[in-house]
Amino acid sequence: MNNNNEVLLIPKIELGIVIDHIPAGQGPKILDIIYQYEEMKDVAITLGLNYISKKLGKKDLIKLQMEYLAPEIIQHISIVVPGVTVKAIKNYNVHSKVVVHPPKEIKNLLECKNPNCITNSEGHVGTLFTAADDEIRRVKCYYCERIFDLDELDVVIP
Amino acid sequence: MKKDLISMEDLSVQEIKNYLTAAAKVEAMPLRERVQFLPGRIMATLFFEPSTRTRLSFESAMHQLGGSVIGFAEQSATSVSKGESFTDTIHTVENYSDILVIRHPGEGTARLAAQESHLPILNAGDGSNQLRLQKYFMSTDEPGKYQFKQTDDIEEAIKNCDVLYMTRIQRERFPDLVEYEKVKDSYVLTASMLKDAKEHARVLHPLPRVNEIAYDVDKTKHAGYFPQMKNGVIIRQAILLKHLGVQL
Repeated sequence: MNNNNEVLLIPKIELGIVIDHIPAGQGPKILDIIYQYEEMKDVAITLGLNYISKKLGKKDLIKLQMEYLAPEIIQHISIVVPGVTVKAIKNYNVHSKVVVHPPKEIKNLLECKNPNCITNSEGHVGTLFTAADDEIRRVKCYYCERIFDLDELDVVIP
Repeated sequence: MKKDLISMEDLSVQEIKNYLTAAAKVEAMPLRERVQFLPGRIMATLFFEPSTRTRLSFESAMHQLGGSVIGFAEQSATSVSKGESFTDTIHTVENYSDILVIRHPGEGTARLAAQESHLPILNAGDGSNQLRLQKYFMSTDEPGKYQFKQTDDIEEAIKNCDVLYMTRIQRERFPDLVEYEKVKDSYVLTASMLKDAKEHARVLHPLPRVNEIAYDVDKTKHAGYFPQMKNGVIIRQAILLKHLGVQL
C-alpha cells in the first residue's frame, strides 16, 4: 500500500511553491482561486488529491512552478481555506514555510452583504473587515458594523 | 487630533461616564454662561433623511452654547439629488463649518465621513446601525451596573422596575406593512398599569410615540420621556464642547 502511494507521489520540484496540508476535498477550491488571477494563467500546476497525511488523515496538495506567489493570492486562499501551509522550494528543499490564516484586517477583498452599507453605494470606498472572534471565522464590517460568517462573504478581486 | 463620535462600540464605560459628568456640569450652568462657550463656531447638520428631535436638539444645543448652525434637513434639498456623492458633499461642507452632525439612511456613512474629513464628526444615526446611540446617552446612568431580564409579563415587570424603557414598533423598518399591522398595537402602556409602580420609577421613550404609551400616562409622575428630551439637549452640549475641544 505504501509503495503504491509512493508511486503516485508528485515529483519533487527544483523551484516553486507548494500549498500543503489542504484538507481533503478543498484542493479544487484553491485551484479555482488561483485561476481567477490573470498572472496565474500560464503557471504549470500539479494538483494532488487524497494523499495520506499524518496530520490530517487525508490531504490535498498543490505545486506551482513559479518563484513567487503574490501576498493577495495567499490572503485570498487563507480566507477561503484557512490553515494551509505555503512552502517556498529552492534546490528541491523547503526554503521557507508559513501556515496561513486570515488576517485580522481584511482590506478591499470582501464584499459587504448588507445592501444598505455605504460601501455598496459609494463605489470608490474600499471595504474593510476586522476579526470578530479569535479564530477569525466571523468578521465585522468596519463601516456598517454588521457581523458575518467569513464563508458567507464573497471575495472580489480588485 | 480631531475626535469623532461614531459608534457606541468605540466608547468605554469610563468615556460614557465622562460625557455624563460633563452634562451634569453643563446643566448646572446658567444659560448666560453657556452662550459664551462657542461664539463664532459653526455646526453643520447634514440630515439626508428626516428627523425632528435629533436635528432640533443638536441645533438647540449649539445655539445655547453661543454657536451657529447651518445645514439641510432632507436629501432632496442638496446636490446629492443631482448625483453628488456622499464623500463629495462632506468635502464641500467641511469648508463651511467646524463640526459635522450627520444623519444618513446608509449604514457606515458616519464612519466614512470621519475617515474622509478633517473635522470632528458626530453620528446622528446611520440607517439602523447607530440610531440607538442617542438613546443610550439620554438614559444610561451606569452601563453594566444593572441587570436585564426578558419577560412577557409587563404588569409584574412594572412592579419591580426602576426604569421602564418603552419604544415604538418602527413602521418604516418593516418591508411588509401587513406584518406591521399584525404587531402594531401589541402592547400599550396606560396610567392604570402604573398604579403598583415604585414611587421613583420612570417611563422613558426615545420618541416619537405612536400608540404604545396612552396619553393619560403623561399626567403621572412616572412620565419621564419629555424631561428625557431636555436631557438630550444637555448631553449634546456636553458632546459638542468635548468634540470642539472645550474643557469644562
